[in-house]
Amino acid sequence: MGGLQKKKYESGSATNYISRNKARKKLSLSLADFRRLCILKGIYPHEPKHKKKVNKGSTAPRTFYLLKDIRFLLHEPIVGKFREYKIFVRKLRKAYGKAEWSGVQRMKENKPAYKLDHIVKERYPTFIDAVRDVDDALSMCFLFSTFARTGKCHVQTIQLCRRLSIEWMNYIIASRSLRKVFLSIKGIYYQAEVLGQTITWIIPYQFAHDHPTDVDYRVMATFTELYTTLLGFVNFRLYQTLNLVYPPKLDGQGEFSLKSEFEEDYALESESYTEKLSALSASLARTVPSVEEEEAQLDHFPAEGEDLEKMEARERTELEQNKQKKLFEGLKFFLNREVPRESLAFVIRCFGGQVSWDKSLCIGSTYDETDETITHHIVDRPTIDKQYINRYYIQPQWVYDCVNGKILLPVEEYFLGVTLPPHLSPFVEESEGDYVPPEKLKLLALQRGQKPQAEEEEDEEEEEEEDDEEEDDQSEDEDEAEDEANLAEMEEKRAQGKSLSVKVTPGKVKPENRMRTEQEEKAEEKRLAIMMMKKREKYLYDKIMFGKKRHVREANKLAAKRKAHDDANKADKKKKKKKC
Amino acid sequence: MAAVRRNKRVAAAQPGFLPFKSSLDDNSSSKRRKRVNKNKKKSWNKFSDIQDVEEFLDDVRLQERATGGLISEKADDSLFFVDTGETDVKDTQAQKTVKKGKPSKPLRIDLILQPDSHIPAPKNVLAFQQPNAKKQRRTSARAAKLAAMGVLPRREKLLQLRSAAAASGVSAKEHPEANNNPERAFYDLWSAGTPETADPYYLEQTKKKLVKRPDRLNEKPSVLPAIEVIAPGGSYNPDFFSHQDLLREAHEVEVKKQKAEEKLARQLAVNEEKATEETIFKEQVQGLIEEEETEPQEPEGDTEDTVMGPTATQEKKTERQRKKEKAERIKDLRRKVERQMIDKQQQLFQLRSISASVKNLEQRTKMRQAQRKAQQEAQKSMPRRLGRLKFQTPDLDVQLSDELASSLRSLKPEGSILKDRFKSLQKRNIIEPRERAKFNRKYKLKYSEKRAFREIE
Repeated sequence: MGGLQKKKYESGSATNYISRNKARKKLSLSLADFRRLCILKGIYPHEPKHKKKVNKGSTAPRTFYLLKDIRFLLHEPIVGKFREYKIFVRKLRKAYGKAEWSGVQRMKENKPAYKLDHIVKERYPTFIDAVRDVDDALSMCFLFSTFARTGKCHVQTIQLCRRLSIEWMNYIIASRSLRKVFLSIKGIYYQAEVLGQTITWIIPYQFAHDHPTDVDYRVMATFTELYTTLLGFVNFRLYQTLNLVYPPKLDGQGEFSLKSEFEEDYALESESYTEKLSALSASLARTVPSVEEEEAQLDHFPAEGEDLEKMEARERTELEQNKQKKLFEGLKFFLNREVPRESLAFVIRCFGGQVSWDKSLCIGSTYDETDETITHHIVDRPTIDKQYINRYYIQPQWVYDCVNGKILLPVEEYFLGVTLPPHLSPFVEESEGDYVPPEKLKLLALQRGQKPQAEEEEDEEEEEEEDDEEEDDQSEDEDEAEDEANLAEMEEKRAQGKSLSVKVTPGKVKPENRMRTEQEEKAEEKRLAIMMMKKREKYLYDKIMFGKKRHVREANKLAAKRKAHDDANKADKKKKKKKC
Repeated sequence: MAAVRRNKRVAAAQPGFLPFKSSLDDNSSSKRRKRVNKNKKKSWNKFSDIQDVEEFLDDVRLQERATGGLISEKADDSLFFVDTGETDVKDTQAQKTVKKGKPSKPLRIDLILQPDSHIPAPKNVLAFQQPNAKKQRRTSARAAKLAAMGVLPRREKLLQLRSAAAASGVSAKEHPEANNNPERAFYDLWSAGTPETADPYYLEQTKKKLVKRPDRLNEKPSVLPAIEVIAPGGSYNPDFFSHQDLLREAHEVEVKKQKAEEKLARQLAVNEEKATEETIFKEQVQGLIEEEETEPQEPEGDTEDTVMGPTATQEKKTERQRKKEKAERIKDLRRKVERQMIDKQQQLFQLRSISASVKNLEQRTKMRQAQRKAQQEAQKSMPRRLGRLKFQTPDLDVQLSDELASSLRSLKPEGSILKDRFKSLQKRNIIEPRERAKFNRKYKLKYSEKRAFREIE
């Protein structure tokens, strides 16, 4: 047996990985710089499959990087800049120590800086890649823009984040691409569709900050550094696609309407323009004057079978979206001072509504409270003193629910002082047979164009309740009966989804009912198919069906529980009323 | 210089050369020649007699100094005059007239300081020469050429820029702009620029183009979405049941945590028995009361034997025994082989059961494969172990039923989005989980009261 003896850890996975410290030394960077470089370049640590081999026999937990990745990092020009910065800091410190103030001044003027443009280009080779990955960037920028300027991070960074987030919001308004909003206990989730990409981001509520201590601010600042660059370039390109001027400018009309006499009271001369932009109440200037509402017709191709179905579905969604985009068009909103102004203004403007607020609240209000043409006044307090008769006074949740429901919901449930219906998450997609809360069912019915009759009756009844109690009991019984019927109906609907429970009743032939016969035929076919199944497939099929049934059963149970809960609530209310 | 010297020597060699000093007579011939080796340069230098040449050259120099040239080369008129015996009256008269004017005669000291050599002092070459003249000439020529082409040197360019900026009132951007400058400008990063025609290898080597990013790096380390939307129960005004669902989830997490904690506490509990009255009493009376002999009787036997190892008491086998053993061994082997043969034949009749077992086996491997694949898929969305610490799932953000706000105005936000984002990055394997470095004080703090403070007290 000739040949050299193989040594351990000189080939294979041991040579493919490099520990963090070694990588750091190879790049001759400090740990902080190394970490920053990795974040900027998108080099992530890697968990090797055989840790002990990679770690040369030791089992100590370490952070590993792929050696090839680190080799790639060696080519990065920013590494040189980091070193330069290190030297700069050293020199500056020395000059301070020697109290050479002129030297300090000179050095500060020549502070080394670096650009991340090439890294953004490298990490996102095409524009659409960047748009796809903009979620993180948006959340981070919106988050940083709400930070207090207290030295947790650079003030300049905060300002830049604020600028970029305003630009983004203005773009979303101009393109009308917002789809969903969700008010959660954490913050507000938004979802938009930009160039065919679904983008989700979260904005914190205003003034909701306590700075957590277990977060590494340096790391977050590094991420923000990259993300601001990315978002800036994305914004530029997006503005270009809409023929908007970048950096954004208010169009002539908007600028005129926003001009007020006491601008100095709101903001400094230098800041007033950005403040006006951030008010979101006026539209932006375009490089090419916009053509009024030209709607591209979908191309029609001859299609068959599934394709046809798909195409129809697509057309339907397209139509729906177009309708949704004009949801608030022609409506005029006025925001009272206690509601979250920015979020509401953003959402309303995204769907074509006009919005304004009190002049003393913020810059950029376009009309007064006294304007007679206001249709909706958004208030978030139990009562309001002076009410105008020709407008609705509603709570802010109405706006968000309308957006999620894609229709203008009836305003009755959102009047002042009324207990609001729950704010459902638009991010939940119920599959067949799941438990759907009754509120959602109602919403779906509304979307289909049905009037919520039962509810209206109920309301009326409740009004009547106060008049006489005898009737009340009766009506309640009726109510229950109705509810039960509804429940039965619901269950039936669900049962239609599964095939087993469809029964063929013999003897009753209704020749005129073609639909019925068709259904029966289908059911028969299915049954036969089931009979023809192999044993093993049958077993599987039974299992699946059992699972479905169980699912439905659980959903039914939840529905029943809900009903019981509602009844209990109602009873409670009645008792209270009686006491009153 | 050399040419001049040669001239002089040539002149001296000529027969008509007149030495200035009379001492230049040949008197060195009387000296005896020294015998030295002539094969070394050193000895040439040391022992060659150049006295005559030196003297001659000295004489030449003296002639030049005193008369301004070699005497032998001078015209006769300048050396001699015809003595006619006439006294120069005019001259004496002229001198007298000059004497009348007082400052006409130069001071003696000045005369002494006058150079008495007839050879003019050599010019100071360096006074007329420029150092690096050639180089400077060349650079200026090049600059002129570039200027003719319209290319200005850098300094000039900067100067022009600055002056232009000063004229327009905008400061020229000499310093690189900071990355987080809020007024920074953006441009179309993804616009298709002019395609590179040069060799990519050349561009990479000259650092005009960055090294291509490997595709592997564009894959995300986790399949989780960047923003995970909170469950519907996390709405500010949630549906009752989804809220209950969320609460239950949070509750389960909490219960699990508590259980782990309890388990740990149980494991760490010190199992010490507390002294009761009874045990104290027992301890006190120990040895005072005669106890009954309750010791178990030890089995009396040869304990030593069991302790000892096997003894080597085997006796030597006889030849017969060996043969017998061997025969047995062979017989055994044969029997085994036969048995195997029979078994093989029997397997023919077991075909069905064998095929069933094979099927079973295959099914099991298939199932395991599927399982493994599913596990790998699940692993893609799991946080990996990237360092010393494991990823800790953050607490679920929930609000209890009585904490829920009745309106948007009175909503109290739960949790921190910053922390949420941070944890999300960790969860997606983008950064490794870390904990804040603990602060270790190297030296103990020492408190002392200041004097001024003490005085007030």
